[in-house]
Amino acid sequence: MEPLLVIRHSAANAFADMRAVYTWRIWTFGWLGRMLAQVTFFTLLGRGGDEEHLAYLALGNSLMTCALECMSVVASTTWERISGTLPLLAAAPARPVWVFFGRSLQWPISGSGTSIVALLCLAPLFGVSWQPAQIPVVVLLVVLTALTTYCFGLFLAALVLNANGVRNIVSSAAYLVMMIVCGVNVPVSHWPAPVRLLADLLPLTHSLHALRLVGDGAGPGPVLAATGLALLCGALWLAAAGVAFDVFMNRGRRSGGSDHF
Amino acid sequence: MRLFLNGFLFQLRLSRRSPDTFLVCVTAPLLTTVFLSINAYTGRHELTSYAVVAPTLMSLWALALSVAGSALTEDRDLGTLEGQIAAPAPMALTFLGRMCSVVVVGSMAFAETWLVAGALFGRWIALPHPVVSVACLLATALATAGTAGLLSPLFVLTPSARTLQNTLTFPFYLLGGVLVPVSVLPQWLRPASYTVFLSWSADLLRDSLATDPVSRPALRLLAVLALGAAGYGMGMLLLHRVVLRVRRTGTLTRT
Repeated sequence: MEPLLVIRHSAANAFADMRAVYTWRIWTFGWLGRMLAQVTFFTLLGRGGDEEHLAYLALGNSLMTCALECMSVVASTTWERISGTLPLLAAAPARPVWVFFGRSLQWPISGSGTSIVALLCLAPLFGVSWQPAQIPVVVLLVVLTALTTYCFGLFLAALVLNANGVRNIVSSAAYLVMMIVCGVNVPVSHWPAPVRLLADLLPLTHSLHALRLVGDGAGPGPVLAATGLALLCGALWLAAAGVAFDVFMNRGRRSGGSDHF
Repeated sequence: MRLFLNGFLFQLRLSRRSPDTFLVCVTAPLLTTVFLSINAYTGRHELTSYAVVAPTLMSLWALALSVAGSALTEDRDLGTLEGQIAAPAPMALTFLGRMCSVVVVGSMAFAETWLVAGALFGRWIALPHPVVSVACLLATALATAGTAGLLSPLFVLTPSARTLQNTLTFPFYLLGGVLVPVSVLPQWLRPASYTVFLSWSADLLRDSLATDPVSRPALRLLAVLALGAAGYGMGMLLLHRVVLRVRRTGTLTRT
């Protein structure tokens, strides 16, 4: 239960940050509008081609929005250095991974909202269609995508805590690589084997595959298999993030708890 | 000219210590890969020039937003804003120099995207109209610097400037016909598109990469420059008013 308590307390920071940056109006007309424009932008790349690919792009890019937003965890984790809280976190007995997991939960929540609106309201304009019974599954898969990608982002965040100047470069490069290899715009099978291997390590590849299977009306078996793979990847990235944060903090403790660990 | 150069060199020195300035050097090749992979998959190789032009213009616009959003606030944090306002040197000139130095980095994105298209996808794009291409890139860089001059005081005056900065990306890429020509947009949106310099730049740059003769290049270059100059003029007027107000009310450090 202790991790949940730590996550809950840490998430208070996340929600305070969210309230400081967004009002409902700014989120809806600013952020959401921008993300829907991004989905439209990339979907229009398929104009003039077959309609099936247009729907493929719309679905992939709609789900991509939550993955993109979850990569903000890289930046918001490094804000703790700017706030000067890292030495205190090093002194606290709580595992840092749970603190940082709660610290940026605003992104998967906001990202899920963005993706759900894009998938249910925008993607149908480009040929994506959902049966009413599929909508709860779609919502669940979006939340799963957001949380598992968030775990991948946490691992990257642990790596750049000592180099917070490159936080935006790392998060932007990470989401663009996901756009390229995870089957967002072209099928994963389009790429050579080493790229496919990289794609298999990323949760988005599997959750997006599961979502496409739902859209194609596949049975529960293949959908559950793809979902399971996404969950497994997410869990592994969370474990890797846990180790990376522990190593980071232990190094800081050994060196005397200076701000630069 | 000396003031312009001082501003140019000052911002270049600041940029060296700010990795975010070079963010576009990382994102431009990756965006090109996204666009070209779709083209390769759909077999629409004739759209390669679109995939080279779009990341270039997106990089320039992203840099304009980034530098406009941070220039004045960074000056305030460094404690140099008060000195600049008190000094007799016109801030409009030094500011333009600073904006120009940043867009130089953005122009490098064109070379990167061209290289990615050739090296990764085997599509080496010829430059059938090199003079028009280079002139268009230069004019676009200048217009970007000018538009950053308009955005900068706007961001200072607007609450949630960071959100506004984010919001002005993809809607403008759509409106500016960066990847999809303006003619594809709904009829009612097109007049608005023509007030965005990106739409003129995108069309001209794409035409300059095609083998057909470029129609009315001088006029179109003039449109890019005029829109950039209009943005810069309005921005400097706005900045002048903001400065006058904060000097009168003594609230510069709280602006």
